[in-house]
Amino acid sequence: MVLDIYNHTVMEVTGYTSPQPNLDVIFSALADPTRRAILSRLVKGQASVNEIAAPFAMSQPAVSRHLKVLERAGLIERDVDEQRRPARLKAENMAAAVDWLSEFKAFWGKSFDRLDEVLLDIKQAEAKETGHD
Amino acid sequence: MTDLPEYQLDRVFDAPRELVWRAWTDPELLHRWYGPGAETIIHQFELKPGGSWLNEMKWGDNSNFQKVVFQEVIPPEKLVWHHHSCTDSDWNDMVNPMMADWPRLLLTTVSFEERGDQTGVRLTQVPMEATEAEIACFAEAMANMDKGWGSGYAILDEILAELRGEDRA
Repeated sequence: MVLDIYNHTVMEVTGYTSPQPNLDVIFSALADPTRRAILSRLVKGQASVNEIAAPFAMSQPAVSRHLKVLERAGLIERDVDEQRRPARLKAENMAAAVDWLSEFKAFWGKSFDRLDEVLLDIKQAEAKETGHD
Repeated sequence: MTDLPEYQLDRVFDAPRELVWRAWTDPELLHRWYGPGAETIIHQFELKPGGSWLNEMKWGDNSNFQKVVFQEVIPPEKLVWHHHSCTDSDWNDMVNPMMADWPRLLLTTVSFEERGDQTGVRLTQVPMEATEAEIACFAEAMANMDKGWGSGYAILDEILAELRGEDRA
């Protein structure tokens, strides 16, 4: 997982940018407990590096590195203009990730539910044809 | 090769095996159930070894294309196919835009077992010709199928729940 993040970081640095949420990068970014805690903090509203670093026994540069990973994953955005560069959550990419995974997890299960209905239809149609109904 | 990650789904259908087989192999029936909540368009369906099933799933303006190449067709017992999980509209393999390391090719086996008037169906999918990254991606997905996508999925749930809570407040 650490290697994954490294690879994604290298890709970003070398100019690779994803046109839409890249789930590999999102889930790599989420694999770290500190970054998850940072996101939980940002749910409560935007915050500067100082404010984010306060509850952690961690230097500001270390927090900044975590913020960069989250920013590249598209999970947060930061103000460019202001000196304190507050970070805030980008919920839409999270939603996209959850939606995609839900779709994947549900694919065969939901399809099989629909197959149940199709089979019932065929059985009823056949029963009518043979006069059972 | 037994250490490859595998997706497996078992389901018992309340219909005789011949009927279940028909629902899987008649495109007029297949398109009605294959794909959750999408409009499924079957562009080609050749039910024989080497034959192709070209499938489009439409969600609004978006389309998702998949190609299936049948390997074994043993009525009414078994279907084996190569599942090209993501193709362009000309049916050439492409990288999944949402999940770059998702396996491009999945060996899919569907078996149909008679159980009185019912039918037991087992579907398995295993990555084929996969890179290590693809195998790892699929393994992680399979390991976390039921409990969510590991810690990432849990934190997303938590965050989204808090966001919904804020919306209501």
